[in-house]
Amino acid sequence: MKKFAIGLYAAITVGLMVWGFYQAIYVAPEEQTMHEAQRIFYYHVPSFMVAFLFFAVSFAGSIGFLALRRGHPDWAQAADAWALAGAEVGVVFCTVGLITGPLWGRRAWGIWWTWDARLTTTLVLWLIYVSYLLLRRFAAGPQMQTLAAVLGIFGALDVPIVYMSTRWWRTQHPAPVFGGGPDSGIKDPRMLHAFGWNVLAWLAWGLLILGLRYHVERRQQSIANQEAQEALNA
Amino acid sequence: MDQAAILDHQFVVAAYCVTWTIQLGYLALLGLKWRAQKRNSAPSSRNPH
Repeated sequence: MKKFAIGLYAAITVGLMVWGFYQAIYVAPEEQTMHEAQRIFYYHVPSFMVAFLFFAVSFAGSIGFLALRRGHPDWAQAADAWALAGAEVGVVFCTVGLITGPLWGRRAWGIWWTWDARLTTTLVLWLIYVSYLLLRRFAAGPQMQTLAAVLGIFGALDVPIVYMSTRWWRTQHPAPVFGGGPDSGIKDPRMLHAFGWNVLAWLAWGLLILGLRYHVERRQQSIANQEAQEALNA
Repeated sequence: MDQAAILDHQFVVAAYCVTWTIQLGYLALLGLKWRAQKRNSAPSSRNPH
């Protein structure tokens, strides 16, 4: 039953991805100033939205681990697995955003990169979470999970700064599409639909791989516990 | 199609291809990890000693 539910969810996700692609390429009209290059928007913005959501999962998991590690070690391990899964999948989506952004910027601004507030804070966010993953990969010992949790919380503090950067500072990056003043928002309903479908599709895809990454980590924890038990018994 | 439109199209194709390559590459990596775990955990669960 569980396998069927996962298979059904995966099938719906693939359907959403195909539908989102069709909407972005064939249904949404060409934007007047940026022309076809604007279609990168339909992958670029949802990628960052999902990345921020998963960094929030990592943040919650890190807090959960620190809060539960003494009283409920089993729950703390589950929280730690969510923290790691959120950070890793978040980095994947953030990487997509950081690559599609310069591709779009090259056509829209004529440059690949500029050290403006939005781009710089986003790169710093990516570097913090890559450091988190390197710490998880190469550090050993009982303190590793605690240090990673602290770094995970520290990294998540950059997310609101990234989000607010285009409001707080004058930047090369465009103003927010939503909530960025009276002229913000997507006016054409076909563009809005294409954007909405792609947000939904990438969210569904992200949740699928987040769940998979969580289960891989839980299984890894169980193998490590089993090996430790065997070593004690030997 | 003028030169600018062709370039625009190529940049869109590049962005979409990069997105899918990264996402599917990561999924494949997870799949390999999953399979390796299954392989490594199988002997110890069969052999209690």
